[in-house]
Amino acid sequence: MKVPKEGSRSVDSQIPQSEKETNQKKKEETLNTKEGEEPQVELPTDSESGDEIFSEDDDALRESGSGESESLGDEDIVTTSDGEGLSDDDGNHVQENGSESDEAHEGVEESDSSEDEVTPRNTIGDVPLEWYKDEEHIGYDITGKKIKKKERQDKLDSFLASADDSKSWRKIYDEYNDEEVELTKHEMKLIRRLLKGKAPHADFDPHAPYVDWFAWDDAKHPLSNAPEPKRRFIPSKWESKKVVEYVRAIRKGLIKFDKPKEEPQIYLLWGDDSSSTEKAGHGLAYIPAPKPKLPGHEESYSPSLEYIPAQEEINSYQLMFEEDRPKFIPKRFMSLRSVPAYEKAVNESFDRCLDLYLCPRARKKRINIDPESLKPKLPSRKDLKPYPTTCYIEYRGHKGAVMSISTEASGQWIASGSSDGTVRIWEVETGRCLRVWEVSEAVQHVAWNPLPELPILAVSAGQDVFLLNTGFGNEEEQEKIKELLHVETPTMPEDSGNSTSAVTWAQDDKNKGIRLKHFKSVSSVEWHRKGDYFSTVMPSGESRAILIHQLSKKLTQRTPFKLHGLPVSSAFHPTRSIFFASTKKNVRVYDLLKQKLVKKLEPGVREISSIAIHPGGDNVIVGSREGKLCWFDMDLSSQPYRILKCHPKDITNVAFHRSYPLFASCSDDCTAYVFHGMVYSDLNQNPLIVPLEILRGHTSANGRGVMDCKFHPRQPWLFTAGADSIIKLYCH
Amino acid sequence: MPKHYRPPGKKKEGNVARYITRTHAVKYLQVSLSLFRKLCILKGIFPREPKKKVKGNHHTYYHMKDILFLKHEPLLEKFRDIRAYDKKVKKAVSKKNRDLAERLLTRKPTYTLDMLIRERYPKFIDALRDLDDCLSMVHLFAALPAIEREKIQVKRIHNCRRLSHEWQAYISRSHKLRKTFISVKGIYYQAEVEGQKITWLTPHALQQVLPEDVDYNIMLTFLEFYETLIAFVNFKLYHSINVKYPPILDPRLEALAADLYALSRYLDANSKAPPVESQAVSSSGSEQVEVQQKGTEVDESELRLAQLQHQLPSNEPGALMHLVEDAVGEDEDDEETRECKTLFKNMKFFLSREVPRESLLFVIPAFGGVVSWEGEGAPFNESDQSITHQIVDRPTQGHKFLSREYVQPQWVYDCVNARIILPVEEYMVGRVPPPHLSPFVDHEAEGYVPEYAETIKRLQAAARKEVLPMPGMEKEDLDDPQNLLVEGIINRAEAIEAAEKKRKMSILQKQYHDELKMELQGVQYSSVSNVNKQKSAEDAEAQEDSLPDMQQIVEDNANLSKVVMSRKKRRLYEAMQIGKERKRAHVDLLKNRKKRIDEANKSE
Repeated sequence: MKVPKEGSRSVDSQIPQSEKETNQKKKEETLNTKEGEEPQVELPTDSESGDEIFSEDDDALRESGSGESESLGDEDIVTTSDGEGLSDDDGNHVQENGSESDEAHEGVEESDSSEDEVTPRNTIGDVPLEWYKDEEHIGYDITGKKIKKKERQDKLDSFLASADDSKSWRKIYDEYNDEEVELTKHEMKLIRRLLKGKAPHADFDPHAPYVDWFAWDDAKHPLSNAPEPKRRFIPSKWESKKVVEYVRAIRKGLIKFDKPKEEPQIYLLWGDDSSSTEKAGHGLAYIPAPKPKLPGHEESYSPSLEYIPAQEEINSYQLMFEEDRPKFIPKRFMSLRSVPAYEKAVNESFDRCLDLYLCPRARKKRINIDPESLKPKLPSRKDLKPYPTTCYIEYRGHKGAVMSISTEASGQWIASGSSDGTVRIWEVETGRCLRVWEVSEAVQHVAWNPLPELPILAVSAGQDVFLLNTGFGNEEEQEKIKELLHVETPTMPEDSGNSTSAVTWAQDDKNKGIRLKHFKSVSSVEWHRKGDYFSTVMPSGESRAILIHQLSKKLTQRTPFKLHGLPVSSAFHPTRSIFFASTKKNVRVYDLLKQKLVKKLEPGVREISSIAIHPGGDNVIVGSREGKLCWFDMDLSSQPYRILKCHPKDITNVAFHRSYPLFASCSDDCTAYVFHGMVYSDLNQNPLIVPLEILRGHTSANGRGVMDCKFHPRQPWLFTAGADSIIKLYCH
Repeated sequence: MPKHYRPPGKKKEGNVARYITRTHAVKYLQVSLSLFRKLCILKGIFPREPKKKVKGNHHTYYHMKDILFLKHEPLLEKFRDIRAYDKKVKKAVSKKNRDLAERLLTRKPTYTLDMLIRERYPKFIDALRDLDDCLSMVHLFAALPAIEREKIQVKRIHNCRRLSHEWQAYISRSHKLRKTFISVKGIYYQAEVEGQKITWLTPHALQQVLPEDVDYNIMLTFLEFYETLIAFVNFKLYHSINVKYPPILDPRLEALAADLYALSRYLDANSKAPPVESQAVSSSGSEQVEVQQKGTEVDESELRLAQLQHQLPSNEPGALMHLVEDAVGEDEDDEETRECKTLFKNMKFFLSREVPRESLLFVIPAFGGVVSWEGEGAPFNESDQSITHQIVDRPTQGHKFLSREYVQPQWVYDCVNARIILPVEEYMVGRVPPPHLSPFVDHEAEGYVPEYAETIKRLQAAARKEVLPMPGMEKEDLDDPQNLLVEGIINRAEAIEAAEKKRKMSILQKQYHDELKMELQGVQYSSVSNVNKQKSAEDAEAQEDSLPDMQQIVEDNANLSKVVMSRKKRRLYEAMQIGKERKRAHVDLLKNRKKRIDEANKSE
């Protein structure tokens, strides 16, 4: 029957710690006071009240069906109560103290001893229980007899038992004593309070007001016996100093007591504008900040639908650069009430502030002009007629790109050389192909002899230059030509002298002409105006790159000049014995008679592709591979008089008209430009250059466009040779 | 001697002497960077761009004169004093001398900015010119919450609110508001004061977002200056209409947060009352106003009195005088002001709870309307039979009075921008209103006219009783606003011969363009042979007959003159073309979208 009682003990032994401690402390206090002057002992209340309460407590225990306690006397510290008793008692227990002091004393004494002296059934002490694991007993009782282990129920049985038993939830297995303990209601209450983190006893007040038990009023003896010092009776010197200091400060006005007078903050600042006209500032012009941009339709809370980008467009903004991305994406709200606060309002305001005080300001002159007014005033094109405008005839027949064309001096025939290795002669007016020569290699250049009575065609193809008899002209002329085009083969090596290795003159039986075999491939052939000399250019020929040949004597000679850079083309002056040799960078002008450099023209372009000489001889146009056309006035300067940026691609050739004030350029972008280039005899007047027409029509082949352009010698017509194997004639 | 060598004893000259970097300026002035910033903001000093940046590209340069200007600023000395004073207080506090610290704190040195304002804006017109940022900032802060952490004090927020209301009250009272625009960012207003167009932005009256990455110190420094500026400007403006500044408001209305209404009542009372009584009392109005200021209670009763007087002008003996005064007033106003004043005349508005009250209370009276709202302190309540328009912004309206129109708030703003009373059908409750268009856009410059703008233009013309081309006719050349304009002009002045001629020409031109277009399409669809191209001569006669590659020719013509331009001019020209192209691309994008939307609508 001891079981429940023991259970309560085991719980109690842990719970009332704090209680005990307070008891302990109070006891110490009492002891201290005993040492002091106070002879009377005032008792800690709790122990006493505990005694009182105990009976109730005991009742509760009895109620719960547990047996009686065997040692009531030492139970006094288990001070659990319902609280009512204690609160009632609280008021008067101080008075009771005196009478009950002795009993209480005993109680305290006893409680102290009983604290450790819990009497469990088992007496093995605080040893690990596993020592008894394999034994039959769990320990020894107070008489020294072995306490046998109970028989263990198997889990199933215990579970079933617990399921049946409605009180199983308040049963605890006590391992130490090997028994099941059932908690009482009262104990459950304690545990609940503990779980809540409160003191286990409901009546315990952790914040009880401190009661000073000791009345000091009638204490006879002071703590210190020293006499009162003098300073306590005389006024403070320091204070008087301070007062004097303050008084002086107040007199001097250092300390002011009256509040500063409130002046009106706002007044009429611009009372009279005329008075404030004086120059303000510091001599620097004030540049007002530009006003923020006014909002457009797209910033509306409900803009028109077309201002709202589709989702794909918004997504595509992500692919843009950060700075290109639109900062504001229009959005549409169906009604004014659904418009939210703008989240960037403060940011934008702040940015504006930063702009205002951090951005350097400078007055920028805003050019507010019509872009058309930038265009120069040009004379009307109608006044500059005639010039070639439309394509009238196409000459078809070549299989490959037409590399070069040349007009006959009379203007009746044109010759063309193509990369398919044929040279053709066409009748200009009908477009009929008159003759075809087959040369083994791609033709680079063709050139008619400028003399009308000497219709010889010079053709450069690969390393060879052919001089072909076209068969035009009357019989007398034919005779002469045949004579001219006859070469005695054996004489050649001796004749050529120092340029033996460069060129060999030989009879070409197949085409009935002369064949000049060069040591490198020839890019162009140009005739002298008198028709006897002609020059050939071999770009890779180094010191012998440009050669001048004499037809009548079948002679070849080097130019006596040193070329700096790769030669591109050459030309003879139309009237004087001056020779133009262009390298990629510049054009050198030589006097052939004096054999010296006259001038060096610097077009300042990347790579020269072609040059043409004005029939007057004082103006030169140079086409470059970057599409720029430079007009040089030789009398003026060695710098170009005007640079025309007309073609987006390489200029392949440029040409002057022999009699009309026209010149043209053709380019790989499949266009040819026709310009009006009037040169005045008055030296003070600059040449007038007016672009007239863009001629289109050719198509691109292998990335090349128009390969060559030549004017008709008498009419204002332009022939263009295209890489698309077509020759076109543009007429006015 | 190298060119850059400066012999000792010789002064620096040129850009080196004229410009100073910011770091050097700070050192030179012996201030901290933050103080330098503050001074720059208050004095309105900004960096300048030297022609040659001597110290390098990544520096900020100030003009030496600007810095000297700062150096001689009395404020600089004042700020130094304040700093020293702060040190004193700090020392007292850290020595636990609370007495001294408190005493010191009561007499903290302060500074005023009025001299700076006079210096920066020697004339009133200058101040008005620079008022845009000021107003936007003050209105923004009026809508911000006060945050201790960022030192945004409640006092200043309230001050901003007060100042913004004062400004609005003046603008509304003097009918100077010209344009309004509800944008996503807030509501833009444009007023015209003394010939200056002043535009400002007020945020929507909602909880504002306060970002972290903003230096509020700088904004507050700006605000400090702006508050002072707007206060002085308000003073001057109130002075100009003979009203005492700062106004004393009806405390009841103030408590109800109807400051604006209170202010406008105050204004009405003060500026209208004196002429009424001026017959009896020959004293000037200002004196009367001063009398009014003596006590709030007196003032309030006076206010009421004045209100009454204002409301019953016909019974008064001074009614005639009143009328005269009105006429004089109108003579002073320009035509636009008169137009604005009478836009909402004889209209009575009532605002529901959900509409932005502050904004509408500002806008409607500015255009001559009478307005009330739901809530306390309102001049009349919803059941008033004379209300003509009730402004609501809710999906459905439960109880409706038949005598009035129920419109969405956008109607008011659109009416204001169009300067006519727009038909209310489109703006009825529960409907999606037509697009709200910005009044700040110049359609001619922009090159694109939204559909609703056209509608409004037609309505305006109808209101002016002018004849505009029929909508059916316009459909043909809607894509070309220029044409429309031209035709409109012509139709109106058909009698004039010159116009007749012009019209003929335009018709011819149009015909020609149409032909061109047709031909262009022909070119696109049928592959034109080369022979056809050959014929594309430039001859004038040939032009009309067949123009196979017109575009090409036009382009060529443009290119031709470009060829002879100098490089500099050509670059400039090209840059201009790029700008034009961009603009056109934008317009094209809009047109495409419009077309797509129309098609989608049609297919539905």
